[in-house]
Amino acid sequence: MSTSVKISANHLNVFYGQKQALFDISLDINQNEVTALIGPSGCGKSTFIRCINRMNDVIDICKVEGEIAIDGKNIYDPKVDVVSLREKVGMVFQKPNPFPKSIYENVCYGPKIHGIAQSKDELDTIVESSLKRAALWNEVKDRLQEPGTSLSGGQQQRLCIARAISVNPEVILMDEPCSALDPVATAKIEELIDELKKTFTIVIVTHSMSQAVRVSQKTGFFHLGKLIEVGSTEKIFKNPTNNMTQDYITGRFG
Amino acid sequence: MTNDTHIVKSYGEELQFLNDSVIQMGSLTESLLADSMNAITILDKEAVSRIIQSDKKINEYRAKIDTQIMTLLVKRAPMAIDLRITITALRISQDLERIGDLAKGNAKKMLPLPQDLSQELLKSLKRLGAIVESQLNKSLDAYIKKSKDLSVEVIKLDTSVNELAYLSIKEMLSFLSKDTKNLEYATNLLFVAKNLERAGDHIRRIAENIYFLVEGDYYKK
Repeated sequence: MSTSVKISANHLNVFYGQKQALFDISLDINQNEVTALIGPSGCGKSTFIRCINRMNDVIDICKVEGEIAIDGKNIYDPKVDVVSLREKVGMVFQKPNPFPKSIYENVCYGPKIHGIAQSKDELDTIVESSLKRAALWNEVKDRLQEPGTSLSGGQQQRLCIARAISVNPEVILMDEPCSALDPVATAKIEELIDELKKTFTIVIVTHSMSQAVRVSQKTGFFHLGKLIEVGSTEKIFKNPTNNMTQDYITGRFG
Repeated sequence: MTNDTHIVKSYGEELQFLNDSVIQMGSLTESLLADSMNAITILDKEAVSRIIQSDKKINEYRAKIDTQIMTLLVKRAPMAIDLRITITALRISQDLERIGDLAKGNAKKMLPLPQDLSQELLKSLKRLGAIVESQLNKSLDAYIKKSKDLSVEVIKLDTSVNELAYLSIKEMLSFLSKDTKNLEYATNLLFVAKNLERAGDHIRRIAENIYFLVEGDYYKK
């Protein structure tokens, strides 16, 4: 497996107004791997992944210092086109949020606005392959015109994953993608993540330690805006170096 | 050092309970081993009946520890140090049970106890028994204190146990070549020496597990 670095954060500091949310984060994320970010609520892990596709740009008081490089290019360079950055870096959120449109339109929306496909045939192909890659095709192929919101929670989340991958991104960010799902739907998403990492680089924020162990190869532990420890998932959960990491993953934090 | 208190108090209590069970099982094994050496070397008949009882109890402990571990795994999905506490308890209890079996087997080999026995034959065996007993005692000490240094001491002691076992067997063979009065009994003593050496191997494994528990890594020479 390739272990080349896809995303590299260097001395990243993030502020919301006067309040500093991230302190000097330097973290490498490997290509075709799943990197899990763990830590208590408010530790900055979501802030961090939202920096990777510049989602924080929409918050007026948010200020970012330092850099995040994807394939060696700083995404905070003023010349970077944010729209094409977000084409390259897709995102899946905690709560499934399909558009109030049909299943078909949910998936073809991205390829349409990014000009990836023009003809109906091309769109059909993309919709089918995206839904197949999101392991949803068999369940929805006969009801593509039904609203996306008519699907179950787990299916909606897979629809959102299909929507994210329809524009051929290189990176997928997942912010607690299974926290609203039952164990069966969670298992399907985890199985999907395992499959998707062959094609994409995945960064996942999760509150479930066991999920981090199951899906990721690398884990970073955040606390109070600082990256306390990062290493192979196996090392972090069997024998972490830092006592704070150990206290957190063993439930001794308080 | 890691904080001792879990947010979920009962989780911490369950781990403590498991730790205590291993220590209790260990001290039972320790007295069984001592009894078995007494049965052999001072022909203590009462020791033999005590041994049968202790061995039963040790087996019960093993089953109890197994249950505790399965419950912990299912309920808590332990991580890091907690995972190592759980896994090593499983391994250590297996080794303790085997030591108990070997010690009981040794005592049983001595039945019926002979009327008289040359102390010459027992000299090196006593020394071997004493060193294995102290090796087990040290390993339990290492477990209670979660001490890496003590565990390494126990691991290193195993070389002396092996040497002494070899010496014992040689001495017994040379005794047997001159004196065949207690031939059957003395032949059994050869097995006793071999079993003590095997008990030493189990104690070494216990110590290696304590090292793993403390360090999170395997012991390397």
